[in-house]
Amino acid sequence: MLEAHALTKRYNGVTALNALTLTVAPGDVFCLLGANGAGKTTTINLFLNFISPTSGSALVNGLDVTKEPLETKRHLAYIPETVMLYKNLTGLENLEYFAALAGKPDLTREQLIGYFREVGLAVEAADRRVGTYSKGMRQKVGIAIALAKGAKALLLDEPTSGLDPKASNEFSDLLRRLSGGGVAVLMATHDLFRAKESGTRVGIMKHGTLVAQHTTDEFGHADLERVYLEHMRD
Amino acid sequence: MLGRIIRHEWRTLGADATLWVVGLAFVAAIGYGVWNGARWVGFQQAALAASAAEEAERYARLETEVQELQRTGGKVSPFRDPRSPSNAGSRFAPRYATLPPGPLAPLAVGQSDLLPYYFKVSTESRDAIVGATEIENPQRLLVGRFDLAFVLIFFYPILILALCYNMLSAEQEQGTLALTLSQPLSLATLASGKVLLRAGVLVGTVVVCTLAALFIGGVDLAGPGALPRLGLWVAAVVAYGAFWFGLAMLVASFGLRSAANATVLASAWLVLVVVLPSVFNLAATTLFPVPSRMELVQAVRVASDDANAAGSKLLAGYYEDHPELATGDAAQAMTDFNVIRIAVNDDVERRVRPVVQRYEQQIAAQQRLVDGLRFVSPAVLMQSALYDIAGTGHARHQTFLQQVDAYHAAWRQFFTPLIFQKASFTNYAGTPRFEFDEETAGTVAGRVAPAVFGLAIPAIALVWFALARLARFPIVS
Amino acid sequence: MILRIARKELLDLSRDGRFRMLSALVLVVSVVSLAAGWKTYTDLAAQHRTAQQATREQWLNQPKKNPHSAAHYGVYAFKPASQMAMVDTGIDPYVGVAVWLEAHKQNEMKYRPAQDRTAVQRFGSMNGAEVLQVLVPLFIVLMAFSAFAGEREQGTLRQLLSVGARPRDLALGKALGIAGGLGLILLPATALSVVALALSTSEGLLADDPWRVVALGAVYLTYFAVVTALALWVSAWASSSRLALVVLLTFWFANSVVASRVVSDLAAWLHPTPSAVEFQKGLEADLNNQEEMEERIERKRDELLKQYNVASVDALPIAFSGVSLQEGEEHGNEVFDKHFGALFDQYEQQNRVFQWSAIVAPMLATRGLSMGLSGTDFGQHRHFITAAETYRRDIQRTLNGDIAKNQKAGQVYMAGRELWDQVPAFTYEPPPAGWVLGQYSVALVVLGAWLVGAVALMMRAATTALVD
Repeated sequence: MLEAHALTKRYNGVTALNALTLTVAPGDVFCLLGANGAGKTTTINLFLNFISPTSGSALVNGLDVTKEPLETKRHLAYIPETVMLYKNLTGLENLEYFAALAGKPDLTREQLIGYFREVGLAVEAADRRVGTYSKGMRQKVGIAIALAKGAKALLLDEPTSGLDPKASNEFSDLLRRLSGGGVAVLMATHDLFRAKESGTRVGIMKHGTLVAQHTTDEFGHADLERVYLEHMRD
Repeated sequence: MLGRIIRHEWRTLGADATLWVVGLAFVAAIGYGVWNGARWVGFQQAALAASAAEEAERYARLETEVQELQRTGGKVSPFRDPRSPSNAGSRFAPRYATLPPGPLAPLAVGQSDLLPYYFKVSTESRDAIVGATEIENPQRLLVGRFDLAFVLIFFYPILILALCYNMLSAEQEQGTLALTLSQPLSLATLASGKVLLRAGVLVGTVVVCTLAALFIGGVDLAGPGALPRLGLWVAAVVAYGAFWFGLAMLVASFGLRSAANATVLASAWLVLVVVLPSVFNLAATTLFPVPSRMELVQAVRVASDDANAAGSKLLAGYYEDHPELATGDAAQAMTDFNVIRIAVNDDVERRVRPVVQRYEQQIAAQQRLVDGLRFVSPAVLMQSALYDIAGTGHARHQTFLQQVDAYHAAWRQFFTPLIFQKASFTNYAGTPRFEFDEETAGTVAGRVAPAVFGLAIPAIALVWFALARLARFPIVS
Repeated sequence: MILRIARKELLDLSRDGRFRMLSALVLVVSVVSLAAGWKTYTDLAAQHRTAQQATREQWLNQPKKNPHSAAHYGVYAFKPASQMAMVDTGIDPYVGVAVWLEAHKQNEMKYRPAQDRTAVQRFGSMNGAEVLQVLVPLFIVLMAFSAFAGEREQGTLRQLLSVGARPRDLALGKALGIAGGLGLILLPATALSVVALALSTSEGLLADDPWRVVALGAVYLTYFAVVTALALWVSAWASSSRLALVVLLTFWFANSVVASRVVSDLAAWLHPTPSAVEFQKGLEADLNNQEEMEERIERKRDELLKQYNVASVDALPIAFSGVSLQEGEEHGNEVFDKHFGALFDQYEQQNRVFQWSAIVAPMLATRGLSMGLSGTDFGQHRHFITAAETYRRDIQRTLNGDIAKNQKAGQVYMAGRELWDQVPAFTYEPPPAGWVLGQYSVALVVLGAWLVGAVALMMRAATTALVD
């Protein structure tokens, strides 16, 4: 579903991403690990065509994102570190707007509330302005947008950072449900524990290069941390 | 998709209380501007009615006096005799040549508070007639009027810029832009939707409020020539708005922060609306200075002294040019003050004409310079368009002056033979009358079109450039 | 301490590219406008000299004629350009330049220069006064808006206060720094204007009343101080520099662009003036009041008959025709004084509304004072009109007196050069600076109040300013 072929991004001679090649199949949850500036966010921005690659290509559902920027976004959903919504609109109004932009303009109130329930948000929150929402609630609205859109691939950029353990756990559950339904997930994260819990594969990045790929079944949590730190050492 | 964005923008903007306050202030300013314009038109109409009443009253009095004298055969001093064609033509019977306010005059006071809109036309020299002006406190002339043109030229762009300066940068700063653009939606579509909503609301407000104000002000919108002018006015409002929206879009497309956008746009407004027009005026008056009219006063004086000294010699020359007038006792006419006066006036005007032309040439040169320079400042373009549409600018007044000149000539042609014949003049009802021949909407459109295109073409270019530039917009920093 | 802060502010400003660009712009505009003003003035002064001389020669070179013919021939009075119109042209473009002084009639001044210009003049003319009243305050606002708010955002305000800087010193230091920045532009501009003033006349450095120059300088400095203090006050009080900028720009726009137009409407509404047709109608009705005129002449005749103790006018040792002409003039003068007086009083009432309105927009006080001190306001225009009209009346009195003295019954009396010489040339002496300031007492008080108020606000806001 998500493919990168020798994807490279350079800023004024500084390589932010170096020949990244990876594939995320439907049902996969691929977690990108690495230090700040390792190229994780760059990868996600490239898949969103927010920045254009210096060389190589990023494909979504087999389509090059630079050539079909709108068509590829039909299949994508994006959840940043904090899902930013229109403060003056209610949760439901935000959901409705983004769903409409995503190509689902005719959803009824019941359907929209259904998505709200599905991601575990209280129904009475739906008509409250987003300005009053906690961060966890916003992240859930992000997932609700992805659900409403029927996205086939999910791009997550540190989605659980700053969430309390309970909210974080709920979020992981949601992810698992989505991938179980055949969605391909690419998640940039620092949280090794979450990566082990909800990921099917992990990739470790360093200075813009993907230095290792493993399936999470290969080892326990302690092993993952050891492998990670080994790669970070030098 | 565009419709969806527009609806969404309406909802978010509608939730902003400040915008409502600013919007209401703007509506109030429009209403006040139109009201003010209508009041000034009312003042002019009252003055014209007063002049017509004065004329009618004077004519009624003269006609009774003439009848009385005819009936009784009474004697009266030759200086007071209403039956003398010379007295009638120069002092008793002058009629007013008036410029009625145009069909949409309340839209802009323009130059109409400065340029005279009625003249008392007599057989006197042109200079004596055209010198008269309306009374007004010069300090009020200096500061100008709070009319709709002022609101549109100064406030309307400010409102556009205030609505647009952060349309993309705010979303970028608050983080919603990334989420929005992770949907299948191009930045160009998003920006267009935002601009279209703002433009629709603002232009709609201007047009609807103005129409309402005109309607309440009792302006006959179905009157002759009103509708096509209204069409031109809407075109000017749209084109001027489009320019500023285009500029705001272009600045937004560079992806600077909101504060930087605001600084750039405020500077652009200041330069284009405040500084450049004043500099144009400075350039026009410095490059093509119109000498003080003191010189004209002296030229007229010298010419009249010379002509008066030449006196009857001039009359002989005049007879050569106008043999048809040499009827009756030409020899006696050579000593007649009134007859000589015609020849003298004629001579004075001929001598003064080159001096007057020098003034007119300088003014025309200024006008040409400004007509060229105005394409650099949308505010000056808009001003010229609005003044021409309202009929309160230079061009319509020029037309009026030409018609007054023709009328002045007709007036003289009517009286000159009578003065030469020393006829007894009783035909007061038959003196020529002036009726301003209003310019056709086509003439006005021809004058306004360059200004509207001069606004619309840069506007289109700005939007096109902005849309092209948006492809390189930094969605993430 | 204050000086040290001022030095830092100036250093900070001078390293800011935007400040350098802006000051270059303001400097260029001032120099260009000054040069244009200088040229306009010297042209006008030359034209005025020529015209004044010509009209005098025409008067003196009249052939032998009856004095009353000479009275009808009349002379012209031309309004001289005030030297300081180089800085502020005021209402001069909107009033006539010449008035014909003839028998029986007080004419209006004709030929407004504004009628010989294009419609862009309605945007302003970028003369020195406009630079000082519109651009410089904007410049101050742009320099000052972030003075406190910006430091607060950077966190340097916290730092400053923690080392023990007194808020009062901080405010004064910043004001001084801005004044220094302003001085960098205004000092060269002022030096140039003084040179221009000196070069524009052969009558010494300052032909005009030097007190006017001094007072004008003081008025503008006060105004700039008001704007600076207000800007610093807003900057100290606003929660962000952006808010400070928005508030200050709104104030600038309302103060320098909008206020005068609204006040103009208010003034006309409070003190309406008639249209020219109505005015003329009222004037002529009084003027042509034959009854009153005849009564007046009769009264004078009786008085003279009694004085000389004779039975009929023919027996009088003076020609009664001259007396009755003068009585006609006296009647006219009363009518003119009444009508023009009422009209001009109305204008002055309107202009007083402008002065009082300075309570909400200090620019209105500044503009009035600037025009007044430059000799280009309505008050001094009226002063000129009055002088010219007095001169006209003197001419009529001289000529009619001559008729009364020399006209013999049954003769055609002709006068010559000796009589023309008896009429002195018209000279106009503008009023002194003190007279002008008296006219603007309201504006002076209001501007002073603004200064005191703005400085007090600034000081208070500086001491109570929040650190973040």
